[in-house]
Amino acid sequence: MRTFKKTLLAASLAIASLCSPLAMTSANAAGTITVALHQDPGNWDPIATFLVAWGAVGGQVFDGLIMRTPEMKLVPGLATKWEFMDKNTKIRFTLRPGVKFHNGEPFDAEAVKFTFDRLLGEEGKKGPQQSNYAAIDKVVVVNPMTVDMLLKSPDPVLLTKLAGYGAMIVPPRYIKEKGSEFFGMNPVGTGPFRFTEYKPKVSLSFARNPDYWGGAPKVDNVVYRFIAEPATQAAELQAGRVDVANQVPLAMLETLRKDPKLAVVSMGGPVALALRYNTQRGIMKDREVRRALIMAVDRDAIIKTILLGQAKPIASFQGELSFGYDPSLKPLPFNPAQAKAMLAKAGVKPGTQVQLDFRGPDSNFREVSQAVAAYLQGVGINVSLKPYETNVLLNDIIPNGKTGEMWQNQWGGWTFDYDNTAYSMYYTKQRWNPFDDDTKLNALLHTQRNSWDQPEREKTLKEIGRYVADQALEMPLYSLNTVYGVNKRARNLALPADGRFRFVEATVE
Amino acid sequence: MIGFFVKRLLQAVFVVLVVTLFVSYAVRLSGDPAIMLAQGAGSVTEEDLRNIRIGLGLDRPFPVQYFEFVKGMLVGDFGRSFLGGTPVSRLLADALPATLSLAACSLLLSLLISIPLGIQAAVHQGGPIDQAIRIGSLVGLSFPNFWLAIMLVLLLSITFPILPPSGWDGPVSLIMPTLTMAIIFSATNIRLVRTSMLETLSAQYIMVARAKGLKDRVVLYKHALRNCAIPLITYIGLQFGKMIGGLVVVEKVFNWPGMGTLAFDAISARDYPVLQASVTVLALLVVTANLLVDVAYGLVDPRIRNR
Repeated sequence: MRTFKKTLLAASLAIASLCSPLAMTSANAAGTITVALHQDPGNWDPIATFLVAWGAVGGQVFDGLIMRTPEMKLVPGLATKWEFMDKNTKIRFTLRPGVKFHNGEPFDAEAVKFTFDRLLGEEGKKGPQQSNYAAIDKVVVVNPMTVDMLLKSPDPVLLTKLAGYGAMIVPPRYIKEKGSEFFGMNPVGTGPFRFTEYKPKVSLSFARNPDYWGGAPKVDNVVYRFIAEPATQAAELQAGRVDVANQVPLAMLETLRKDPKLAVVSMGGPVALALRYNTQRGIMKDREVRRALIMAVDRDAIIKTILLGQAKPIASFQGELSFGYDPSLKPLPFNPAQAKAMLAKAGVKPGTQVQLDFRGPDSNFREVSQAVAAYLQGVGINVSLKPYETNVLLNDIIPNGKTGEMWQNQWGGWTFDYDNTAYSMYYTKQRWNPFDDDTKLNALLHTQRNSWDQPEREKTLKEIGRYVADQALEMPLYSLNTVYGVNKRARNLALPADGRFRFVEATVE
Repeated sequence: MIGFFVKRLLQAVFVVLVVTLFVSYAVRLSGDPAIMLAQGAGSVTEEDLRNIRIGLGLDRPFPVQYFEFVKGMLVGDFGRSFLGGTPVSRLLADALPATLSLAACSLLLSLLISIPLGIQAAVHQGGPIDQAIRIGSLVGLSFPNFWLAIMLVLLLSITFPILPPSGWDGPVSLIMPTLTMAIIFSATNIRLVRTSMLETLSAQYIMVARAKGLKDRVVLYKHALRNCAIPLITYIGLQFGKMIGGLVVVEKVFNWPGMGTLAFDAISARDYPVLQASVTVLALLVVTANLLVDVAYGLVDPRIRNR
């Protein structure tokens, strides 16, 4: 029996060590920044990308014609200048000379044409990126350093969209030789870092590109580790094994701040949260009731206590960095007495039942919902909280109008433009709006979509925001801050609000 | 023996097929992979979602999808992940060794802890050692596995930075996850060994062995242990299914790149190919474990072998 046990022990230890494939990834290696990322998108091709997590990596290896700084300014990228021509139906881009892809291929007008043909053609059709660029008809080569982008329709957000995701420039020769599938696992671009190794679901590694057109990066390597659990990300941060964590649990922020080698970086983010009202259901049909419910809830207190101050109050379904944000539009004040009076006047009896649907796995919002329920109880409304699995809520319950009187609405796009949000939320028969049908609102939404006149658009978007607030189609709650846990040894990270890292200037001690 | 094997094998195949059919059907009842995947893309229209679904093969009727899956499985092609098109066989090839080594080490450590402790508890029945061991096992039983995992990380990675808090970077990374799983399993196994030993020790042949003058160690380990091996082996076989469930939680906390994390993430993202393949492999593992248990009976108990 003893020898049997011994053999078994030896055998399993042998198997275990044979099977452990990874070398120790140490954040303390000279010149390496390690980032903890919550999800592995599985494919690094800009047009096959579906997920936000891709954006966290894309900017390290690819460039767009235009780039966006962390301060939300659009600056030249692979194009040094662009001008609108022919009554805004054409954009002429002058390309940056002397740029090479990581495999040595030259960047030129042919590469740009190839990128957009691919994005707008059969390959791009398999993913949702294509429809974001539907305003583009085609790209025409004028000369090796100049391209014309011909437009089918106006798209005021187009220039921003050229700075990321599907519009990032890819190498024609490499893709034609190796095929899209290989490209997806072994990306090549023009960016500050070159791809070195990808272990699915485990890690992704890059080395610096010394020939980068924007100046060689100051660190040698960037490594991404895919860690889904926020608590585990925090543990790795504390153990000094990652330098940047993109999903730290709110409850751990104080602990991280107290750690002398760590810092917490927080800024206004793209994600906004509101309780959308089902205006077809019960007492929600009455506008005064909807407004009263907003006034019954102390949203500032919720932000301070439950979200530990890591959010900002909002009056419309967007954050302050969003284009279309109106700082003069103020949220309805917290006034439970007045709320009670309004409810009484509308004929709502104390003890009326309403249902609040929310995403079960979201533990922060669960607490927020409980707080909202408590406030509403204070004005005589009984709230039953109904958690749903995220998928079920998003796909079955909301679009089919099966929600309760209010539901958790969470939205945020990297473009930071209210157009994206407003259209999806309020236009008739959109997925997120199975109940409202407002011709005036539809018209407003339509006008700003198809205009290049940015100041005019901004005015319209603000008007839309004001209209929605006036109609009280929802209870705006807060816009979440983007919060990063960082090891102080990493400097100049230029951490962006939209999670799209780009470590050109970054250094480590 | 051969007939017995063939029968069990056919049963195993049937069980695995039923499980995969059920899971494949159930996961399609709610949620939509297309919308899970399109989250970062900005304004997604119904047209986009339709295109995505066609690209993923979801527009075909369920029997067709399931049949394609089984057909592919027979030639070792498990399809491609919805998340980026990675071949599922590659994901499985990376994840399976991770889970197997963790499971094997946990089982082994659990046996190494529970057998000696169980025996000592039985031998010193009623005494202080027995009490201490029984209380210890009760405490171990009461720990929720994720709590224990997080406490170990807190102690051994953060307060005293000795071990890496997550990931599989070498044999050292095995220590905490194995410890977590082993502690919880040992808790029950200790009691099982103790009870079996108590029964066995009161048997006549043990008295005879002692009377013969055999050393205590020989009596216990050679004669007595063999007899209580059968209930222990049965229990381990039964436990295997439960262990897979516990593994999912432990793998998540330690970011262990194994089948548990793979299956869990696949459910949340509605990544059908990965989910179906993971469930199939896990079902196969459980069924194989039970098959091995039956074989082990034959090895340990000559009465079964010589039937």
